[in-house]
Amino acid sequence: MRSFQVGILVALLGSVVSTALPVSATSPTVPLEYASVATLPPVGPHWVWIPDRLLQHSILFDGDSGEVLGMIDSAASLTPKPPVLARGHFHSSDIAYSRGLRGDRIDFVSIYDAGTLAYVDEIMLPTRQGQSNASLAYVELIGDRFLGVFNQFPNVSVSIVDLEKRRFVEEIGIAGCAGIYPVDALQFATLCGDGTVARVTLDADGHKTALTSSAPFFDAAQDPAFMSAGRNDTTWTFVTFAGDARSVDLGTRIPTLGESWSLTDEGERDEGWRPGGLQLVDVHGPSDRLFVVMHQGKAGSHKQAGHEIWVFDLAKKERVARFGVPNLTAAFLIDQMGVDPDGFLADLLFWFVPSDGAHSIAVSHDDEPVLFVRSAIMGAVAVLDARTGAVNRFLTETGLAGPTLRVP
Amino acid sequence: MSWLDTWFEGVSRQSARRSGRRSFLGRTGALLVGASAVPLLPIARAAANSGNGTGARVPTPDEKIEGPEGDPKQCDYWRHCAIDGSACACCGGGPSQCPPGTEVSPVTWVGTCRNPGDGKDYLISYNDCCGRTFCGRCMCNRNEGERPEYHWYRNNDINWCAGAKSQVYNCSIAVVLGQATEGQPEK
Repeated sequence: MRSFQVGILVALLGSVVSTALPVSATSPTVPLEYASVATLPPVGPHWVWIPDRLLQHSILFDGDSGEVLGMIDSAASLTPKPPVLARGHFHSSDIAYSRGLRGDRIDFVSIYDAGTLAYVDEIMLPTRQGQSNASLAYVELIGDRFLGVFNQFPNVSVSIVDLEKRRFVEEIGIAGCAGIYPVDALQFATLCGDGTVARVTLDADGHKTALTSSAPFFDAAQDPAFMSAGRNDTTWTFVTFAGDARSVDLGTRIPTLGESWSLTDEGERDEGWRPGGLQLVDVHGPSDRLFVVMHQGKAGSHKQAGHEIWVFDLAKKERVARFGVPNLTAAFLIDQMGVDPDGFLADLLFWFVPSDGAHSIAVSHDDEPVLFVRSAIMGAVAVLDARTGAVNRFLTETGLAGPTLRVP
Repeated sequence: MSWLDTWFEGVSRQSARRSGRRSFLGRTGALLVGASAVPLLPIARAAANSGNGTGARVPTPDEKIEGPEGDPKQCDYWRHCAIDGSACACCGGGPSQCPPGTEVSPVTWVGTCRNPGDGKDYLISYNDCCGRTFCGRCMCNRNEGERPEYHWYRNNDINWCAGAKSQVYNCSIAVVLGQATEGQPEK
């Protein structure tokens, strides 16, 4: 007992001495640290939001460094709709219930500072916003002031949100149509079941003033157009299940339909090549290049992951490249197993492990573009040089599952 | 490309078409969660006799089917031709029964699937079960006759829990509504 008491006394004295005495001149200098919260640099051209369906958040990655920059939660959603950047803030269209996952529902836009990701404000919405697996074109920026939020139940409509005044403006009915395809500061389009696109024009306060439909350009029953589409300024390019492409200029008085053309030639069609996936189409505006995830399938395979990404010159309506989809399964396993990504074992896994292909792509907007490539079921995203198809890197531990990407 | 590459590519593609991701994961032992999505589906014309005024559904599909086409826990189950989500049979429910504590979505999408036992086409209602988080088991995504959201009644991406008290999606069931007068209009 006595020796125990002595031991305690020695320990206490040691503690006091070590705290009170100055650090020896021969000790290494350790700078004082204080806990703090990181902030973000200015938005980079190769940043990407990666939403996760199961974890209910979106992670922001830097596609150049591969580092995670931050995260935004969006609970009670099927797949979180990736945040939309405008006016120095990220905007997330959310749903919440008063008792966690039950109780009274509210719909709202959460506003986060783009430099800190700190919550700033919210804008309440009608409790009607739609949700789907991919929610493609469900929340989009119209110009730099208005946000459109797609509603599905009980009626199909678009909620217009004024980001300047931070208030809900009005709900615009778009019966028979779906999605929001921004055109310019005061106009957006929507894709319709009668094979047309309808363009909605707003006044300066965000209220609807006109709705103008294009001529029909696809057969929604026999060869539907995917919701996933690519934009270059006021022109959107749509792709059908069977592989036809058509650009529509929505900036003209009446929407102008371009010529219909096929992504495939006869031989490729015989081999079963067709578009497929989820967020499977994108356009790089500066080069006017169309990117499409392609697979070999048949009718009904339109959500199948693709093993290639085909690149087209939209002006010439010609294919200019075929990129192989990197093996995201192997990339995921290599990271999870702690294998040296530059070592022999990694090479072996890339060679040995079957690839599941990709469902989704997103191309950056700059002059040295990268192409993000994602499988909806794999926790790894590839970053390709969009001009050559070369793999720059893999983003790892991106989450559990999710079908979408958004470049801010 | 070596013959082995070619072989693995073929295996992989077959795997992807079938949901065989599960079998691949089984081989590797990797733990993955997820899959493609939430539920939904195609539609066809209802048979004039899908209801005879007495509440009876005539005829009853043959459910004594051998193999995965007769197993409600399998993606190949005959009723799952346009499902997108977790099969409720793997989540505490059954092919036409939501798990305990969940709510059946009051709105739904309707598909047309062929029963391999009797060779007849049936209208299938793919209701979502709502109010619990993603079951995550027995994920399946098949898209026979599925269409984009502008044909919402034939779309299996939409979260049909939107019509329930809670939008939180748990799993999907496949309820036989009756016999169809014709098969899926577009294959």
